[in-house]
Amino acid sequence: MIRTIIAAAFIIFGLLLFAVEIYGVNRFSFIMNRMHAAAIGDTLAMMSCMAGLIIYSGFNFTSLKLLLVVVFLCFSSPVSSHLIMNLEVETNEKANTHYEEETLTDEDDRLDDEEA
Amino acid sequence: MSRLRPSHQNKREFRFKEWMDGSVDPYLGNLEMKPQQLTEETKEQFDERIQDYVRLNAELYDTEKNKGVRMFRILYRISSVIWIALLIGVMLLTVSHLPPNGDPDNPVNNEVSKRYIEQGLQETGAVNIVTGMILDYRAFDTFGESNVLFIATVTVLILLRKNQKMHNEKDMKEDQDDEKYEPQSDTILKTVAKVLVPVIFVFGLYVILNGHLGPGGGFSGGAIMGAGLILYCITFGFEKTERFFTEKTYKWISFTALSVYCLSKAYSFYTGANGLHSHIPLGTPGAILSSGLIFVLNICVGMVVTITMYTFYAMFRKGDF
Amino acid sequence: MDIINYILLGILLICAISVSFSKNLLNSIIIYMAFSLIMSIIWTILESPDLAITEAAVGAGVTSLLFFVTLKRIRAVKGDEENE
Repeated sequence: MIRTIIAAAFIIFGLLLFAVEIYGVNRFSFIMNRMHAAAIGDTLAMMSCMAGLIIYSGFNFTSLKLLLVVVFLCFSSPVSSHLIMNLEVETNEKANTHYEEETLTDEDDRLDDEEA
Repeated sequence: MSRLRPSHQNKREFRFKEWMDGSVDPYLGNLEMKPQQLTEETKEQFDERIQDYVRLNAELYDTEKNKGVRMFRILYRISSVIWIALLIGVMLLTVSHLPPNGDPDNPVNNEVSKRYIEQGLQETGAVNIVTGMILDYRAFDTFGESNVLFIATVTVLILLRKNQKMHNEKDMKEDQDDEKYEPQSDTILKTVAKVLVPVIFVFGLYVILNGHLGPGGGFSGGAIMGAGLILYCITFGFEKTERFFTEKTYKWISFTALSVYCLSKAYSFYTGANGLHSHIPLGTPGAILSSGLIFVLNICVGMVVTITMYTFYAMFRKGDF
Repeated sequence: MDIINYILLGILLICAISVSFSKNLLNSIIIYMAFSLIMSIIWTILESPDLAITEAAVGAGVTSLLFFVTLKRIRAVKGDEENE
């Protein structure tokens, strides 16, 4: 009984995050903000839903497969977001109007050296 | 002319071999042929041709003057709508005559499917009844499907393969431009792909080898492995995949897989048709090495699907292996 | 369970119609991927996981990838960027 409640809590949390993701994807106008919203849904919401399902199914072979799904998504979805962003920055010439490219000065270099 | 040649060159086999190799053009000297000449078009001729084309188009689609075209267009639209409505009506009528879903008295539930469900485990040794059906009872069908994949690959090879002789500088430049958009130099993708590609391959192998025990089989596992190969190719480029996957690999894997499938099924068809006892042990149901030929056939189908997927990608992407 | 089935079938219909009505070819391919994924969920509900795996791997994975490569080859993606 308690296991079901915990699993339901995880799944509902994940579904709420999905709702936030969909709202964000439709609400934002600039592609990077939209991508940020979508990446949250891809990682955290999916992981939360899968954790709920693992808790619900108990410790068996199915939950091991679900854990594999979580690990796989953990690796793949941030990389896909990164690649899409990379392509966007490289190909979109109007991207500069939406964000300012950080220009490194001597001060920054000195700070980096000190941190290292 | 043929008398001047040595006698062994006059034989039919030798001439056929020459013709196959393309070393001798059989029409040369026998048929009067002129080499093709490129016709250079001057700018005036080109302009004239384009103007003709534009004028013809404008006249043809001038709906103000050309009443026939307008009538045809209206009729075309109306008749297409009527035709589609008729088709939808026929299909909906057919659907309404179908028996209800899940009714035990349906004509689908005849003695064939009953036999599959009740005797499938004893006769094929596969726990997964679907695999037992498609690779044992209906193995001929699956053989046809594998051959369809092979034929599709051959067709793509014929259509899209680049001729190395025709490879001029313009194409080379386009290829280089294409490579600019490839994320090949991306460190993050490379690092993750090093971890993910083996996992994908192991999962695909698991799906293929586990086909007679659980959901899966040659087609799905082969598609997964093909996707893994494509990911590897995207990440590390064609230089890395060319080390283990060339035209030769494709040729030998497809040849071996299809012929092993064909021969093993021919054996079981022969024994089955003549009422002989098959010497292939079925093993204990549930073990990984069980269910006789299904295990081998799954691997064959998986191999064919994997190389088909990768060859499709390579042909579409580069036009070569 | 019936309600989920009807919702999925409705989304399937919407996907199928919007594939043919979308102006951008890239959008069509992505909607087609969604169609395949929903189709695989429906296969799972109909208790045929074999077909579901194949549909997800072939329909959503490899086929759409081949479509993307074809679009790139015929310069359809690039042309859209120039028009914008």
